[in-house]
Amino acid sequence: MIKGSVSFLVAVAIATVLLVTQTTASNIAWLSSMDMPIDTPMVASMLIGDLIGMNFKGEFPVAALIFVGMLIAFVVARIVLVWVDIDKRYLYALAGGAALFAIVGLMPLAFYNLDLIAGARSLLGKVYLICSGMIAGYYFGARQTEGSTDENR
Amino acid sequence: MKIVKFLSLLGWQLVLSSSAGAGDQYETEILAQGLDHPWSMAYISDTQMLVTELSGELKLITDGQLRPTPIEGVPEVLFAGQGGLSEVLLHPEFEENGFVYLSFSAPDTQEPALNSLNVVRARLKGDTLVEHKTIFKSDPPRKTAAHYGARLAFMADGSLLITSGDGFNYREKAQSLDNHFGKILRVNDDGSIPVDNPFANTPGALPEIWSYGHRNLQGLVIQDDGTVFEHEHGPKGGDELNIIVPGNNYGWPAITYGIDYSGATISPFTEKVGMEQPVKYWVPSIAPSSMALYQGDMFPSWNGDLFISAMVPGDLRRLELNGEKVADEEILFPELGRIRNIIIAPDGSLIIATDGKDGKLVRVFADN
Repeated sequence: MIKGSVSFLVAVAIATVLLVTQTTASNIAWLSSMDMPIDTPMVASMLIGDLIGMNFKGEFPVAALIFVGMLIAFVVARIVLVWVDIDKRYLYALAGGAALFAIVGLMPLAFYNLDLIAGARSLLGKVYLICSGMIAGYYFGARQTEGSTDENR
Repeated sequence: MKIVKFLSLLGWQLVLSSSAGAGDQYETEILAQGLDHPWSMAYISDTQMLVTELSGELKLITDGQLRPTPIEGVPEVLFAGQGGLSEVLLHPEFEENGFVYLSFSAPDTQEPALNSLNVVRARLKGDTLVEHKTIFKSDPPRKTAAHYGARLAFMADGSLLITSGDGFNYREKAQSLDNHFGKILRVNDDGSIPVDNPFANTPGALPEIWSYGHRNLQGLVIQDDGTVFEHEHGPKGGDELNIIVPGNNYGWPAITYGIDYSGATISPFTEKVGMEQPVKYWVPSIAPSSMALYQGDMFPSWNGDLFISAMVPGDLRRLELNGEKVADEEILFPELGRIRNIIIAPDGSLIIATDGKDGKLVRVFADN
């Protein structure tokens, strides 16, 4: 139970860091294209600032959003595992991807198509963020698989 | 005393106070209520006023009485998010030609999932708008229903300024001259493009662009000397009051005093050579929704001041100008809540429209 909880929190952290990093990177890329004087300390400062800002200064903490999304997705995945014999890593990866798809793909539909996460405004950004959820889910699934036999992976 | 009782019954406070340092006493009264998201107002005579409702109707108020039936002939609008029927503006020679200008969001004719900001000119004949002509349609269309701008103002030479917001999702496009996102446009009163626009001869630039690098511009006034004041919503913080010079870049989103709603940094920069600084900015945001330049006899000490309606937390800002700088800021009517629009009536009183489904028009007049 404790191991599962820690794995879940780490998965949330992985997805959060990947999401924030992508938003920061997309902003930096555009600012650089505008010949704004971006240097390495500024990149580091923006990244740290966004990790804090997107969790404590915004209208919604992204980590909490991901937490809720992944919690629902992983519970569904766990139920699916009762009936379906499938590698946990892949199923949880799918669940993680679905959670991020809900956040970056479906949530804007409730807000007049506004992408509140700047990095999710492009199709490429959305795909990247869904992949981030899949990576986090894969990690969680892998942790669940550890110690189990090949038969119930 | 009667008015106090009347307003108390309606749950409103009668405000009796003096403006800071001015000594003017004023009172307020409710002019009309039950308006569905009132957005803009324009007096067509000393006693008659047009009011737009974001939901798509143009209403007439005569001698303080709101006529329930709307003006006919208003184009169909997209009422969603921040979109809908927005500005109503009269032609400078309205008494002769009857031209009324409306700005509104509407679905794209080619792709209905997309929408755009439109400006239509029509002639007001009786209670009906006729002879419609679309004089502006923003390009490219957007999928979002936010950040339209949609303010209009006539310049002394008869040309029309149109504010066009960044569409929320398209903020970077405010820095490109090949689109209408985050721009002030200047057209003639019939929609044709003046030849002396700053980018009229710039390859790749849209010739109607007058200034760029804006976000969501909802306040626009022009002083008698031609100085153009504009204000725009910042993101989370960074609302700006600017003086617009044709051809200039106002920086959004490369420079800003605000951060994204998500809490992310939009830009760590607040200034850059070649990008204009605001005359004033607000952190935290006040959500400025409209602006009026006071030029009236009722409150002589307010002459030349800018009044800005604000939606967060909701009040009216009186800005005293000293040349091109803001010398003082006074907060008025916080009890009214979110204020969507402010205009100056022909008699010099202030007319304030509160925001929301049960919008009210409140008149501020001198107590003498």
